[in-house]
This record gives sequence, structure tokens and C-alpha cells, in this order.
Amino acid sequence: MNRPQVVWTVTTKELLDFVRDWRTLAAMLLVPLILFPIIFVAVPMFLQGEAEELGEYSVSVHLVIDQDADMPTELLDLLNSSSVIVESVEANFDRNISLSNHSTFREDASLSIRNGVLDAVLLLRTGSGNATENWEYVIFSDSTDELSREARTRLLNQIDIWEDEIIDTTLSQNQLERDDVYDPVTWDGTVGDADIATTGEQAAFTFALFVPFIISLWTATSAVQPSIDLTAGERERGTLEALLTTPIARSDLMWGKWLAVAIIASASVLLQLVGLFVAIRFLAAGILTPPTVSIVGWILFVVTILLFAIFVVAVEMAMAMRARSVKEAGSTLGPMVILFIGPALFAQFVNMENIEAWWFIAPIFNICLGMRASLLGDVSYIHAILWMGSSLLYALVATGWASRQFNREDLVESIS
Amino acid sequence: MNSPLLIVDGVSKNFGDIAALSDVSIQLNKGEIVGLVGGNGAGKTTLLRLLCGVYRPTNGSVRFVDDGENKPVDEVRGRLGVVPESTGLYSRLTAWENIRYHTRIHGRDDEKSWNRTHRFAKSLDIVDELHRPTRGFSRGMRQKIALIRAIAHGPDLLLLDEPTAGLDVTSARKVRDLVRQLGDDGGTVIYSTHMLSEAQRICDRIIILHNGTVRADGSPNELLQMTSTIDLEDAYVSLTSDVARSNPIDKESTVSSILLGIFSRKNRTNDRGEDE
Repeated sequence: MNRPQVVWTVTTKELLDFVRDWRTLAAMLLVPLILFPIIFVAVPMFLQGEAEELGEYSVSVHLVIDQDADMPTELLDLLNSSSVIVESVEANFDRNISLSNHSTFREDASLSIRNGVLDAVLLLRTGSGNATENWEYVIFSDSTDELSREARTRLLNQIDIWEDEIIDTTLSQNQLERDDVYDPVTWDGTVGDADIATTGEQAAFTFALFVPFIISLWTATSAVQPSIDLTAGERERGTLEALLTTPIARSDLMWGKWLAVAIIASASVLLQLVGLFVAIRFLAAGILTPPTVSIVGWILFVVTILLFAIFVVAVEMAMAMRARSVKEAGSTLGPMVILFIGPALFAQFVNMENIEAWWFIAPIFNICLGMRASLLGDVSYIHAILWMGSSLLYALVATGWASRQFNREDLVESIS
Repeated sequence: MNSPLLIVDGVSKNFGDIAALSDVSIQLNKGEIVGLVGGNGAGKTTLLRLLCGVYRPTNGSVRFVDDGENKPVDEVRGRLGVVPESTGLYSRLTAWENIRYHTRIHGRDDEKSWNRTHRFAKSLDIVDELHRPTRGFSRGMRQKIALIRAIAHGPDLLLLDEPTAGLDVTSARKVRDLVRQLGDDGGTVIYSTHMLSEAQRICDRIIILHNGTVRADGSPNELLQMTSTIDLEDAYVSLTSDVARSNPIDKESTVSSILLGIFSRKNRTNDRGEDE
């Protein structure tokens, strides 16, 4: 049996063992496929449903109005139309202090809102100015109470509409149109049409902002569990010793296991990408557009992911192999994932314009920036050589290190 | 019968400061069933791991004799069959898949492996279990599967680390019968056990290991003559009467002695009426 056959024997056994664990398999298949539909469909539907439910409630508001002012019937009509039950009282405000500093009203409002008697209190008095009507107001509400927050939102919305009506009336009295005042310099045509980038290119730009990070995150996290299971897990279960007594070379054993973890992690990342694209294509159609990336860009993108996967899987397997138990491996690899995703997060904010070449050889940064450049179609040969070359080097060093861990004598420990 | 198969020459194995084996020299001949007998911590498992190449000796050498030529164990591991202390079965795979994994690594054809597996499974009464996942198998069942896995590729030398541990009387007898049968068919077996009666029943030769050194090496009768005893148990006690070396198990006695020291000191102070 030649070496590739031995390696493949180990890989197929590991994959068979892995897929027999239905919980892991379900998590690997179902989570990616339902995660993005949940994010794109279920979450917005849920939020909308919750908002509608809240909108069906009537809210009670106390309107405290200056005794010298006329009752603003337009505002009251607007509030009534939005299920705000208003009870009005007159009051005498001190002109020398702002409405929000009227402590007596504030304390009364606080007591009523906290006791659930009212949802908000609106203080209103006439103000000075040259409009047809001038008013000053303040809303006392509790930002930690859902209904009070809802009451405040409705009051603000209706006050905005009322204000618009006052503005229109004032402008009309002065023979002015709203656009003359607010929009004397106008964009002629549709703003979107003036962008020379296609919608696909715009989508690629948006993707480049977050996809490299989530791919780094997925790759790093999806390799953790199989890496531990195939190394520290075997060691702990005692299956490794039996395997080491066979004629298999330890380096072949490492490569067989590495290939299995790489396939599992890649399948997981691929499924998550499929889930993301299906969600974008079918569930968020009209909101998000599939990105337009050149063939070369896609090839570079995929090769970069593969090199990263080689590196990550080798490092995680080596670390897990060093651990004496599954528990120890878990507590080592868990925090170690931060070492992968931390730089990936920062790489999203690196300015790509006139970027220094050394960024493309910095570990993790090189991968993320390479993916960004591939998606943006902004690849220079020098940068591509740097990130591919350095990624390959890191991957080779990592696999070499992993191979050394598999050659440790203390993989099987005993002094009996 | 006396042509050597494996030569262990002056082998020592240290783990840090602890000497697990000291200057062990033995020779295994083709067709022999050799019992490796010793108490807990005697060095049996370490020696077996050295013989199959899982460990490398600190000093000395382990050589496999092949057509009159000495070869390091790493070159001939394909000709060994091993049942380790932990049976090492994958619980999500069936018994046959476990066996097949090893026979494939040994480069054996699946069909031939299956035929051999089926034959051995029949003699151990576990044919029906071959296609069941090993999860939930009893200790005895796992031992039997591990034994079949070790012999399915047709090894020249079989290393068994306490193969009947945890087996009921009937199963243990079946395992012993199978091992005896392999010996009768010309196979060479090293059979590690701490049960003298078992070693006496199936082994041609017994090596007594104690504190990491070989205390005796000979047939059961030779051991009796050597110690002028009429019972192998007496012979064993006579050969291993010195205090066991310091090992992790003995840490308990160290802790006990510290505690005893503390209590005895406390008792002494109590006697003086102080420190109550």
C-alpha cells in the first residue's frame, strides 16, 4: 500500500467516524443552511410582528399645557389618530426656566409613569418666533419601559407632522414653497444611476467588508471540534495506541487526519457560504445583489481560503495533539480562536488605498486582505505573490509543526 | 523451534527520573508463547510498547530477526499484531469496520481479511456482533474484537497486554484457546498477564518482570526448580520479595506516611497536653 493510499484510508475512516455522529452532522449541515434564512427572514418577520403587536396598544399621555395657550387641536387630532389617549390639564409654567427643568412636573410624571398610570407626559407652552405658531415642548418618559418608549415615539412622530403643517402654513403665508426653502440646490436625476460601479460591483465591495472576516471566523471555529476529536479525543479514548502499533508512519497518520479535518472544515464553510448566498439570492432579493467578481478573483479567493484552511487546521491539530485530554485541548483551542479572528477583525478596517506591502505578509492579515483584494478586483501581482507565498509558507510551517507533535513519544503515556 | 524472532538487548527505558525498565535482555523464539508476568508497575506495558515501536528505548536495542538479518522494529511493524491495554475500538464504527481499518493499514485485501475475521469470530462466538457498532459492547466483547483485529492481518508476532482482563470465565477460556491454537499453528505470542495460573496454562515460557528488571526467564518447571518451590505463586513471591520501586502508585504510601507522621506528631503533642 503506497503512502497516499494509507493517508486516504485514515481520512475515509475519520470521515466515516465523523458522519456517524448524527449530532455533529446535524449541526454541520443544518446550522449553516438555516442560519442565514433565519437572519434574513425570520428575524425581520419577528421584529415586524413584535412592532405591530406594540402598535396595537393604546398609550395614555398627560398633556400639560400653558394656561395662556390655545389648545392645539391639530396636534390632538393627530394624537387621537395614532391611539394616543390624551388627558389635558392647564398649568402655569415659569418662563425663566426650561420645561425640562420644571422639577415638580418631572417628579409627578416620574411617579405616574413608574406606577403605570401614564405612559408619558407632554409639557407644552407657546414659544417666541415668527412662524404662524411657535411652541416649546418636552416629553417625560421612561426609556426602560416598552410602552413608555412607544408613547414617546408616537408623540415625536405626530409632533413632527404637526410641525410640518405649521412650517407649510408659515411658508404659504410668505408666498414660499417648501423646496424653495429647504432644497434650493438639488440633485438632478436618480442618485443611484450616477454611480459608475454596477450593482454587482457594489455588492462585491460590500461583501469585501465582511466576508473575509466571517470566512476566517468560520474556518477557525469549524476546525476546532474535529481537530480535538481526532487527536486529543483519540488519545483520551485509547484508540491512538492501537493505531501506533500498526505499520503506519506517524506523518501519514497526521496527513490522513489533517485531510479529514480540512474536508470537514471546508464542507462546513462551503455550506455556510451556500446558506449566505441562497439567503441573498432568494430571501433578500431586492435588498442585496449577488456580487460580481472576475474568474481570476474567485480563483484567488478560493485558493486563499484553502491556504488559510491548511494553516488553521494544522495549527489547531498540533495544539490539540499537545493537550493531554479533550478538556485541556478545548480550553487551549477556545481562546486560541481569538488569535485568528482578532487580526481578521482588524484587517477589515485596513485602508486598501496605497496599502504597504508588508500587510500582505503579516499572518492572518495577509489572508483577509487577499480575500478583500480578490473580491474588489483590485489585485496587484506583487501583493498576490506576497500573500500567496507567505500563506503557503505559514501553512508549511504549521503542518511541519503538527507533524512533529505526532512524532512525540508521550502520545501514549505510562510507566507501568 | 529455537530460531530467534525478536532480540531485546540491554534495554532501559526512562521517563524523566523514573526508570521504567532497566537493562532488560530477552530473546523470543519462533513458535513460542511467552508469558510476561509481573505486578502493577512492573514494566510489562512499557516493554510491550517498546517491542511494538510505540516507545523508543533509552538504552539498548530491540531487533526483529528476519531471514537471519536483524531489523529495527519500525521496519517490521506490519508483521506484529498488538492488543493494547486499552482495546482502542472506535465506538461509532462496527466491529468489522474497526478490524478492516487496521487490516487496510496493513495493506491486506478486504475479502481475505473478512474471511479470516469471520473464522476467528466464529471460534470466539461473536459472528453476529461483527456488524454492530462497538458502542455498548462489554469489556469482554471489546477484548475479543481487539484480539481479532490484532490477528486478522496474519502477524508473525502477537503482543497481548492482559487480553483476558475483565472477561468472564467462559470468554477468557475461549481467548486462551484461540491463543493456544495460534501457538500450535506456529505463531509467536507474548502474553502479558498478572495471573500466574493463566500463564502456566498456556505459556511455554514465563518471564517474570519486577521493578523494571527481568527476575526470571524459563519454563514453569524451570522457575520451580530455580526457586526450590512446588507452586508457581511461591516461586513468584520468592523472586519478587524486595520492596516495589518508587512509582506513582507508591505516592499514596508517601502521602500516607506523611499523614501518619502528622498524626503521630499530633498524638505526641497531645500526650504532652499541648496543641489540642
